[in-house]
Amino acid sequence: MWERTLQDLIRGLRANKKDEAKFIAQAVDEIRQEIRSKDMELKAGAVLKLTYLDMLGYDMSWASFHVVEVMSSPRIHLKSVGYLGASQSFDQDTDVLMLTTNLLKKDLTSKAEDVAVALNGFAQIVTPDLARDLAQDVIKMLTHSRAQIRKRAVLALFKVLVKYPEATPHAMTRLRERLEDSDPGVVSATVNVLCELARRNPQDYLSLAPQLFHLMTTSSNNWMLIKIIKLFGTLTPHEPRLVKKLQPPISDLISTTPAISLLYECVHTCIIGGMLQGTTGNALARTCVTKLANFLQDTDQNLKYIALLALVKIVPTHPYLVAEYQDMIMSSINDQDISIRMRALDLISAMANRDNLQSIVQQLLSHLVRNESAPLPSAVQSLAQHTTSAPASTRLVNAPSQSPAYRLILAQRILALCSQGMYENVTDFEWYLSVLVDLAYIASADIGGEIRDQLVDVAARVRGARRYAVQLMVKLLCDDTFLMHAGEEGSCAEVLWAAAWICGEYCGELAEPQKLLTYLLQPKVLSLSSDIIAVYLQAAIKVFGSWTAELADRWDDDDLPKVRNTVDTVVERASEFASNSDIEVQERAANILQLLTFVRADLNVFRPKVEVGFEYDEPEASGFGEEASAEPRFPKSLCLVRPLFDAYELNPVAAVAQESVPVPEGLDLNAWVVPPPKEDVTPLQEAEPTGETKPKKLKKGKGKDTGAKGKGKKRKDTEDTGDTLIESVETAEDKAERERRKAERLERLRDDPYYLVDDRAARPKIQQDDLDSIPVVRLDDLPPLPTGSAGNSRLPSLRSTPRTATPPSYMVDRVGEMPANARPATPLQEPTPQSLSTVSAGNGAVSAPLPSFPVYEVEDDIPRTGTPSPIKVVRAKKKSKKAGSSNGKKRTTDSTSTQ
Amino acid sequence: MIHAVLIFNTSGVARLTKFYTPLRQSAETLVQKIFALVSSRSATLCNFLDAPELESFLSQSSDDGDKLRVVYRNYATLYFVFIVDSVESELGILDLIQVFVESLDRAFENVCELDLVFHFDEAHHILSEIIQGGLVLETNVEEIDSAVQEAAKARKESFASANPLSLGSSGVGGRGSGIQTPLGWLTTKLTGVSAR
Repeated sequence: MWERTLQDLIRGLRANKKDEAKFIAQAVDEIRQEIRSKDMELKAGAVLKLTYLDMLGYDMSWASFHVVEVMSSPRIHLKSVGYLGASQSFDQDTDVLMLTTNLLKKDLTSKAEDVAVALNGFAQIVTPDLARDLAQDVIKMLTHSRAQIRKRAVLALFKVLVKYPEATPHAMTRLRERLEDSDPGVVSATVNVLCELARRNPQDYLSLAPQLFHLMTTSSNNWMLIKIIKLFGTLTPHEPRLVKKLQPPISDLISTTPAISLLYECVHTCIIGGMLQGTTGNALARTCVTKLANFLQDTDQNLKYIALLALVKIVPTHPYLVAEYQDMIMSSINDQDISIRMRALDLISAMANRDNLQSIVQQLLSHLVRNESAPLPSAVQSLAQHTTSAPASTRLVNAPSQSPAYRLILAQRILALCSQGMYENVTDFEWYLSVLVDLAYIASADIGGEIRDQLVDVAARVRGARRYAVQLMVKLLCDDTFLMHAGEEGSCAEVLWAAAWICGEYCGELAEPQKLLTYLLQPKVLSLSSDIIAVYLQAAIKVFGSWTAELADRWDDDDLPKVRNTVDTVVERASEFASNSDIEVQERAANILQLLTFVRADLNVFRPKVEVGFEYDEPEASGFGEEASAEPRFPKSLCLVRPLFDAYELNPVAAVAQESVPVPEGLDLNAWVVPPPKEDVTPLQEAEPTGETKPKKLKKGKGKDTGAKGKGKKRKDTEDTGDTLIESVETAEDKAERERRKAERLERLRDDPYYLVDDRAARPKIQQDDLDSIPVVRLDDLPPLPTGSAGNSRLPSLRSTPRTATPPSYMVDRVGEMPANARPATPLQEPTPQSLSTVSAGNGAVSAPLPSFPVYEVEDDIPRTGTPSPIKVVRAKKKSKKAGSSNGKKRTTDSTSTQ
Repeated sequence: MIHAVLIFNTSGVARLTKFYTPLRQSAETLVQKIFALVSSRSATLCNFLDAPELESFLSQSSDDGDKLRVVYRNYATLYFVFIVDSVESELGILDLIQVFVESLDRAFENVCELDLVFHFDEAHHILSEIIQGGLVLETNVEEIDSAVQEAAKARKESFASANPLSLGSSGVGGRGSGIQTPLGWLTTKLTGVSAR
């Protein structure tokens, strides 16, 4: 007998630390020999060794049949090795499990030791099949003469019920009897099992309440009491009458028990069990919060941790009680223990409201900032560290915020806090915008994309903050160091996407558009990712367009060289991008080039009109076909670019906008787009459903067309426009023809066995009588609009006064734009009861005139008027935060890719 | 319920791993991940491991959105880690770890890491007297001890009857051949188990 025992294997492993893999390969070879041996001792030894190797990460699934062999040994010392191997290595898909049914049945009727081992192993390896086949045997064991076995059977029964719920009715009556078992261990195990089962479907276990209540009031076993209390915590939400009954004994326990774990569970159950309602409940709530606050102050970190856990759950119902301890909770965020920080973050997030949001966010930001300075300790500090040689304490405090994962969580938390409920807690959006930019600078975490989305969303939804947003974004775009570090990890370079987009979209707010152009087109931009470059280019042309148009408004012939210069630079820069490897960048650069080549040609032939008499020198490039007398004093091409971009305003699209677009008549959404080849129709016919979908897409844009200036072109690429225009001029004949073909086809398909024909009548007309349910609130007591701003969608003046203590109120376009002919809102959009940021007349200093707010009439076909309309706060629950924020970037007409 | 019980030493070597529910990632990576996080925590910090790196793992028990919780305790050179869900009481599990350690201590008489190394099967048997299939079987150290001894005796007798010539200690089961406990490591043994 030279075989190695487990002990030999382990000694060998320890001796061969340097060449472990080789040693183990050798050992496994031996095991392969031994495991096939006829000698059961040897076989079991091999299985045991394999089980050990399994823990170290070596596969043993190949040996599962041998494991079953060892399990079937009649000798308990071998059998238990087999069961151990099985419970460590088998999973639900192990095929040899089906061989174990009879083995388990036999072992369950064997000696007590065997039954114990078998039950333990069974609880680990049970599958639905095993559970079904052995349910009866396990239930029988519930009345075994030995408490030890009954206990195990109770726990094994839980596994049976999880895998095979059909056994529940029968098992429950037997399980119930165990609550009155003579052995406290069995009762405790039964409560354990009930606790697990009740969590899955509490209603079924309400009938056990009297028995449990009796146990609770008579038992003194803390382990079991904890479980019973927990069990009641899951039951009470489904049986309000229990609350009254439980309140006295639980309050009693809270005030008397010396065991903190039990005390904590009582408090916890009170909270999750909804026992804190009503007058008695309020008193209890106060007790609970006081107890938890005591935990919070305790030196034991564990108590601090669980106190935070429980406080999170009480905040929704009793925020004012928790608010009393806000300072204490705030200090927990600074705890050196990351576990506590994480829970404190949760709690703080739950506590955030309009009043404390700014201070909370400021504090969270400071965590991210402090770190920034950590690598560069001041001279005094480093000196002190050297002399005292006990720097551990100072370093430890900062340790958690060094972890990148924690920084990411922190940054995400800040964003989530501010954006929750569609910014319902944000009172000052200029503050929020600056927070976002700060975050981009200090986060050093992979959060750029989320910050970008927030920036765009806020700029799109909050008109009042746009000017500030543009200012901030210009700063960001001009920041060379930010650009320089953009390639680094955690640099949040995506923010530049938002910066460029916002500057481009709201370029009217720019102070020095021309200056920005050089930044947008600087060669260093090439280091950014291509999607950002594309937005840069697009922004550049938008800025250029708005700049030239403004120049045209106040044309002075002295500007001409300046314009020429700028055009030349832009062309030069854009041509660098035109050869970019990315198709998107290339195309946009090419667009710019073409537009500007045209502008340049126009500029070159432009002759300043010094005298009226010079009108004979009419430049030949007057391709606009206008009257000579109406010829403007400036190069006409200056007004070429802007209309391409500003014909429509971009508004956030409501979450439900798409689905509220009524399906146009005659459009069958279920029709084949590309019919299967079997159908013998000409390609011309096949193409028709494709054509049908297009006008539908356009519909949304067209609805807005009616109200906008007619000269505006579609904000799409020109080819696209041409394409869709053709599609949209579908004449009545076409339509009739199409209908006819469709009918023909349907007729053909009716007898085709491969098709299911929908015989139902066409989609019922959309109900139009539900307009009242659309949540539109008219605010009557608003300050009148300054007449000067009529027709001007921008803020007329820059606010030059410094920020006052009271921030201005902002209008947030929470709901987003709906299509003009929207269907009635779905019931999902209940108006929310929360008070919206109603506009109060700002203090004199902050008299930012309210911008004209687009009105989205829901009546059919009423065009939007150009006149400033009364301000409406459109209140409706947005569908989801996410949908809302992504909508912010969307063109109302089509996807973002066309910008 | 309890989803896993792990024991590893201060260098991250697993000494016992028991998973009561199937894992969605390999056991080794989980042990390594938890070890990396736990080992960097100083003794004064709390016994609950909560870290952003673990979020994805902890929130995987999608039954009711409740998160898993990692409760650990450090004894000399070993970390005892329990992964539990919300049905278990956090403080209760801390006590249960203590119960487990005390039971090991009784069975091995001054248990040390080497005992667990060379008798990992025995450690499993002891664990099986405390937890079965993820549910707590017994919490009373006396009861656990007597059950452990009874089972060990049964295995020993069975072994003796199968190997009449053996001197009683080698073979698959039983306490090994006189491995003493050089460290006597249970020095940080906590007192007053039921106090909290």
